Amino acid sequence: MLAAPKPLAPANDARCRAGASQHPFAPVLPAAKRALTETNQLVIVALGSSTTAGSGASEANNSYPAVLEAELRRRLPGREIKVINKGVGGQSAYDMLLRMESDVIAEKPSLVIWQTAVNDAIRDIGEEKLAKILKKGIRQVQGAGIDLVLMDLQWLPREGRYPKYDDYRAVLAKTAAENNVAVFPRYGMMRTWSRSKQFTPEELVGMDGDLHLVDAGYRCLAVRLADGIAAALTGVRPDGKPTN
Amino acid sequence: MSGFWRLMLFGKGPREAALPGRDLRIDAIRGLILLIIFVNHMPGNVVSGWMPYNYGFSDAADIFVLLAGVSAAFAYGRLIDQRGMLVGSLKVGARIWTLYIAHLALFVLVCGIIATAIVRTQNSLYMEAINIQPFFSDTPAAVINALGLTYQPYYLDILPLYIVLLALFPLIYVAARTSPLPTVIFSLAIWQVATHFGLNLPNHPGEAGWFFNPFAWQVIFVLGVVLGRLALVGATVPRLVVLDLLAVGVLVFAAAVKLSTSNFLAGVPVLGEWVDGLQIGIDKTNLAVVRVVHLLALAWLVLRYLRPGAALLRSRIGGGLAVIGRHSLEVFCAGIVLAIAGQIILAETSFVLWVQLLVNFAGITILAGLGMFLSWYKTLTARAAGAPREQPVAA
Repeated sequence: MLAAPKPLAPANDARCRAGASQHPFAPVLPAAKRALTETNQLVIVALGSSTTAGSGASEANNSYPAVLEAELRRRLPGREIKVINKGVGGQSAYDMLLRMESDVIAEKPSLVIWQTAVNDAIRDIGEEKLAKILKKGIRQVQGAGIDLVLMDLQWLPREGRYPKYDDYRAVLAKTAAENNVAVFPRYGMMRTWSRSKQFTPEELVGMDGDLHLVDAGYRCLAVRLADGIAAALTGVRPDGKPTN
Repeated sequence: MSGFWRLMLFGKGPREAALPGRDLRIDAIRGLILLIIFVNHMPGNVVSGWMPYNYGFSDAADIFVLLAGVSAAFAYGRLIDQRGMLVGSLKVGARIWTLYIAHLALFVLVCGIIATAIVRTQNSLYMEAINIQPFFSDTPAAVINALGLTYQPYYLDILPLYIVLLALFPLIYVAARTSPLPTVIFSLAIWQVATHFGLNLPNHPGEAGWFFNPFAWQVIFVLGVVLGRLALVGATVPRLVVLDLLAVGVLVFAAAVKLSTSNFLAGVPVLGEWVDGLQIGIDKTNLAVVRVVHLLALAWLVLRYLRPGAALLRSRIGGGLAVIGRHSLEVFCAGIVLAIAGQIILAETSFVLWVQLLVNFAGITILAGLGMFLSWYKTLTARAAGAPREQPVAA
């Protein structure tokens, strides 16, 4: 039988913020802010592939959207907060675009976190094509009056496997910038974590002997997302200082 | 009413089927398709950049399913005509069992290869690439769902589709025999209604359904069965030059849309938007309408201009492809395993060009070799079975 994974204590979360100033995540979320003020509700849809589905995490409730929901509830007490997981492993940006209307916008969220493009990078679908797909998805979300955050690709210990990996990351960054979309700098964060010596390599990208992706990376993603989102909504940074 | 329309509406009785000579086109085209599927299952490799999906709306999968319909009509349809529904259905059932076992074997092989690769390389993206994580994170559930065909990693989604379609075959065939045109219309209606209401079979975990939505893809299979049935009763392809031109027009338009980097109808209202959509992707799961139109255009031109016994098909290349196509299940399964191994090799060698070419060449050679071996083995066993028994079979 598989050993039960050790629960990761929030006390350990400080390490998630290693090098936070180098890779800031400070989105502007007018729609989410308005929804929270007017209805006391915050509905987030997490759209993505495996990172979002969390099928590698040892239990469903250790996926990043589940942790994000718990973290936001802790930070925003008294608010109704829901993070809906719409991750499907292996999907390309186009696959996700096809379900943007029915799976995402239909849930009436005020914020969408779109984790994508990794499968497009490893399949090398064409940079221009990816840009068009992302743009279309962004327009759809923005057109519905919903805030959007794009998640950068994961950091890989040996990137040479996919020679165009950085080119596809650049497409995502450029398309986001052109369309005023905040990017969650996952790649940079993971690289910093990998150098901070507070994580084992397995905790970030590898797996344990039973081929389970360990949960530390997911937990830290969620913590950093929660930091940025909570700061955008309350005007208070996780270290207690006011923003701006 | 002309003979053509009478045939399309009222069909022909089971005893009226002619016995056409062997159609060399089916095996040769299927052989080619199997090789293309192998190459395309290693995404990002240079050779796949030259494969037909880069030039058209439909791709190898569409042709594969169409041919599955045609050959099912030839093999099991004829059996239903001659021996009746029960015998025909039993034979179809036996084939489904073979496909099911092949699918499960493939599933275990693929999981094993990916697991080995990840343990050795620590690259978790091998799991992402074919959506095999559910197997590792909740193995009992994944195995149960795999047995019920409700968990399908990528590449392990074509055989389940074929299993479902074949299970429906006796029904489809009798309908196509009784009245071809209404059968097609009914099938088109199911496709459109199902797409409209988002009907699909489940693919756990998550809410995405089957990658090949059977409610949509049955259309292509039904078209194949109807074509096969029409061929069985000796229907000839009408000489309609207008359709020829239309078909060529569809292919040219598709190639223009797929190959051009810019949208040549950008300024035109509605049409510009439409071309934009086609350039970023063509829905495969629910079968975009343009895929079917493109496939029909291709099929029409093949029927019109590639005769069943054409010299091209008798050439070495045509003959070689037919040998591969005649053993499609075995070659298909081997192709999946080789493509997944190939994917890993390509990534581990950073997609160096010469390795890419070598992997493609080696894979195609192995698949061709497998086809040749199986043909040789078949004649060997057929000869042995035909020879008088000299010795009693050992107990």
